[in-house]
Amino acid sequence: MTDTVLDTTQYDVLNTIALKKMASAQGIVDATGVAQGDVMSALSALQSLGLVATIGDQSLPMDDAVPALVATSNERYAALRIDPAVREMADKFEVVNGQFLTVISSWQQIDVGGRKITNDHTDSEYDDKILSRLDKLVARLIQLIDVLSERDIRFDRYAVRFARANDQVVAGNLAYVSSPTIESVHNIWFEFHEDLLRTLGRERNE
Amino acid sequence: MTVLAEGFNAFETKKSPEGTVKYLGSPQDVIKLLSSGKLADHILLVRGGTTTFLSPALSMGAIGIITMSGAPESHLGILSREFQTPCVMTAHLTSSDSRYIVGDADESHFEEMAAQLEGKKVRLDVTDSEVGRVVLVD
Repeated sequence: MTDTVLDTTQYDVLNTIALKKMASAQGIVDATGVAQGDVMSALSALQSLGLVATIGDQSLPMDDAVPALVATSNERYAALRIDPAVREMADKFEVVNGQFLTVISSWQQIDVGGRKITNDHTDSEYDDKILSRLDKLVARLIQLIDVLSERDIRFDRYAVRFARANDQVVAGNLAYVSSPTIESVHNIWFEFHEDLLRTLGRERNE
Repeated sequence: MTVLAEGFNAFETKKSPEGTVKYLGSPQDVIKLLSSGKLADHILLVRGGTTTFLSPALSMGAIGIITMSGAPESHLGILSREFQTPCVMTAHLTSSDSRYIVGDADESHFEEMAAQLEGKKVRLDVTDSEVGRVVLVD
């Protein structure tokens, strides 16, 4: 089963489930932009292949899901992996990603005399500074993602998802910065990072 | 008070979770633990701050985490603060000189830590802003 190679839609659907660890059909539609009917067909095929289990309306990746994604991405992205523009983009991402993690940590905690305390979000001036930095980093990331989108249009969905999360933040729904249980900026960013690593066939650096 | 290990504290809290240390080395280990219904009995020991497969355990109520590498600014550190799950990061054994070195991870360091901590009943002391401690519960 480890050498299962998926078609494009199956890959996009399974990849989304693996990145989210658990996803509904509607969640997959929202994340991928793939039509509902095509998502349902892909889910059915992935279940038949033993790559996905469905509990209620949620789909979860089975043990062979990641090996199938790796096998497929090895073929699908072979050319992309040796593309100098993509490699340069990936190097730049590492820098931006480090800055992003620092900004999110600053969103969660405030340094008061060397002691980090939980940000209770009562200092709007502080929060606005952090959100401004976050906005710039997301804009920078979207520029980098464009390099991938030019080669595989599915990456374009990240810009759509970031825009949705940003709309929520601008509207005052601050949970959309870093909450782990919704389509927050941090969740989308993290999924992109995982997606990028799989696309490039790379491992995480600890 | 016997401090078995200490490391960076992901966030300061008066929460003081107690449990038996369980090493989780793979997504399958996490699924097995979640399926057992005994998640709340354990302090979870993992290798890295970027251990992504731990996310389901956090969302399902993990009580405490010890990592052997990674910084409080890492993905797991961010998640632990969001879920308010105490987390001691890049912990090292107080009885050993072995330390995790970024980019030069020695397998024996991880093996020693897992061997020394797994199965022990511990409490996480995360009341200090910087240092998190793994305390043996007698």
